[in-house]
Amino acid sequence: MVPWLLIGPSLALALVVIVYPFLEILELSLHDVSPFGLVRGFVGLANYARMLEDPVFLGAALRTLEWTALVVGGTVILSLPVAMVLGEDFHGRGLARTIVLLPWSMSLAMAAIVWLWSFNGDYGMVNAVLKEAGLIARPVQWMARGDTAFPVEVGVGILVSVPFTVTIFLGGLASIPGEIYEAARIDGAGRFAQFRWMTLPLLRPFVTIAVVLNMIYVFNSFPIIWVMTQGGPDNSTQILVTYLYMLAFQIGRPGVAAAVSVAMLAIVFAITLVYLRLEEREAA
Amino acid sequence: MAKAAAPPTVRTGVRRRKLMAAAGSALVLAPFTTRAATTLHVTVAYYSAATGPYFKQMAKEFEAANPGITVSIDVVNWDTLLQTLQTDISGGVTPDLSIIGTRWLLTFVKDGMAEPLGHFMTPEFQNRFIGAFLEPAKINGKVYGLPIAASARAMFYNKPMLTKAGFPDGPKTWDDVVAAARKIKAAGGYGFGLQGKAIETDVYWYYALWSYGGELIGPNGKAAFDSPAGVKALTLYQTMVKEGLTQPGVTDDTREDVQNLFKQGRVGMMITAPFLINQIASEAPHLQYGICPVPRGTTSATYAVTDSIVMFANSHAKEAGWKFLDFLFTKGPRVQFNKNEGFLPTTKAAAADPYFADNKQLQIFVSLLPEAHFAPTIPGWEGMAQAVIDAVQSVYLGRAEPAAALKLASVQADRALSGD
Repeated sequence: MVPWLLIGPSLALALVVIVYPFLEILELSLHDVSPFGLVRGFVGLANYARMLEDPVFLGAALRTLEWTALVVGGTVILSLPVAMVLGEDFHGRGLARTIVLLPWSMSLAMAAIVWLWSFNGDYGMVNAVLKEAGLIARPVQWMARGDTAFPVEVGVGILVSVPFTVTIFLGGLASIPGEIYEAARIDGAGRFAQFRWMTLPLLRPFVTIAVVLNMIYVFNSFPIIWVMTQGGPDNSTQILVTYLYMLAFQIGRPGVAAAVSVAMLAIVFAITLVYLRLEEREAA
Repeated sequence: MAKAAAPPTVRTGVRRRKLMAAAGSALVLAPFTTRAATTLHVTVAYYSAATGPYFKQMAKEFEAANPGITVSIDVVNWDTLLQTLQTDISGGVTPDLSIIGTRWLLTFVKDGMAEPLGHFMTPEFQNRFIGAFLEPAKINGKVYGLPIAASARAMFYNKPMLTKAGFPDGPKTWDDVVAAARKIKAAGGYGFGLQGKAIETDVYWYYALWSYGGELIGPNGKAAFDSPAGVKALTLYQTMVKEGLTQPGVTDDTREDVQNLFKQGRVGMMITAPFLINQIASEAPHLQYGICPVPRGTTSATYAVTDSIVMFANSHAKEAGWKFLDFLFTKGPRVQFNKNEGFLPTTKAAAADPYFADNKQLQIFVSLLPEAHFAPTIPGWEGMAQAVIDAVQSVYLGRAEPAAALKLASVQADRALSGD
């Protein structure tokens, strides 16, 4: 009884903060909501039907999975070597660590704006540099097409996710005792073997944490894509959360937007469960 | 021996009690005196750097003439205005007055948010306005908003570039535009500035649609822009993009981006509103440019927009709000506002002011009003606009052909228009 009393207040607060908005959204998704947020009447699953009929929804859902996979995968693959280098002792390590952590201090919207201007077709730094280096003859209109704008956005996503992931990995690397490497060296294991059979398995729980947390953040990540292309042109960079925003605040269909929100929760929940289940099985 | 005068001290019993009584009653009465003053909350949309200072100045002048009323001005960017008002309405903290896009009025009225102004408006007040501008804000015969900003659209052209291309007075038809753009392209410039991103990308295409006699919505209330006129208009733009007669990054350029290119003298022709005149005067004073009507197709047409200022039905300061509106729509404040922002006068008094009557450039815009299409006040405008934007963008990107894209958009638009 006493344990419950002790954790009771925190549990209650967490429940209110998490459960109340969820119930609100669920309710909104079952009603007809006016463009200005006034709840008009109960419509059952009509909003969900409307959502599934919209061709943009399916495209956005697939692109969201693509976005999440590319950003999280890219972040983890990039962060591991960076963390390992930063784990070594060398001159200027403090400075290097600070630089790697700097993108984390900027708001996502700011980072997106800076890169949007850098990739601007007429005035951007990227085109200027590429032209100077002789790599391109005429300026490339990076943000004008989905097939060039989307990779740029993925790049920005990776850039802003690396600091957080590096921090997790640095913590993981620090938790590995140094003696086992000595023992391995004595036993004749080369550096690659040490990495493959000792570092990686011991880092596994940290990689799992990094992947799960990043998956959740990136799946819901709004500022980068919204600031840079607003999901356009012609929905070619649209993901679920930007599509939801457009539905709620530009087209004026908050009820359908609430339905999309519930769908997103279901999807990210499912992905996380599947991933954790796979992890458990492998680790066992 | 002179008697020393006793210095008056507050230690004297009666004086002290009087002082305490005075202080005490002041403290008790203070809340009542401040509550007697009304605070008016006004939300205004950002048009330019001059908007905030103008309204704060108007607030000060109004407060001086009306002691007891405090006016608080909140400046919000257009792209977040709808969302800001939505959040305010959901949270129950609406301002008393707000500038809105007139096309939002229908939803406002449907939800019972807007106060009908008829019972405040005397015939004298009604007569101050140029009739056409009052119409868009009339719903079911009642006036819900006052036209605070109005503009029509015309073509701005770079004089040296167009003279070299053989059109010293600007292009008259779309064929002229294409011919001039080809010559400009050959000389290394961008011919026709085409907006392909963000709000009003659809309107940029409507100029061509309307000039070929097309309509947005048919008499049966359904989308009518996928007509032959629509296909012709979109094919025209598609040809210009394909031939490189526009600036290169069409789908990455908002109207502001195209205006920037025009101000830099890199774009030969673009269609926009009168406020570009003020921008050029302050940012690119040496640019030689001209203004001419939107190019003809089979007919002449342009787009006219009004923004309205509305009063919220749940306001607690309606009398004060009306007084402020009355003040804002007198000649002085109106002329000042239009001068700052470069908008067209919506009141007869402002139109008669020499600044407008003698302004040749603004008179061109005014002369276009008889053929102007106003955005119809219908539900689902935003949904229809988004469908059209997606369609034209897919054509500019080369991902779809005009007829197919417009057909798809009309299906989406019909759903939006039917309130689905």
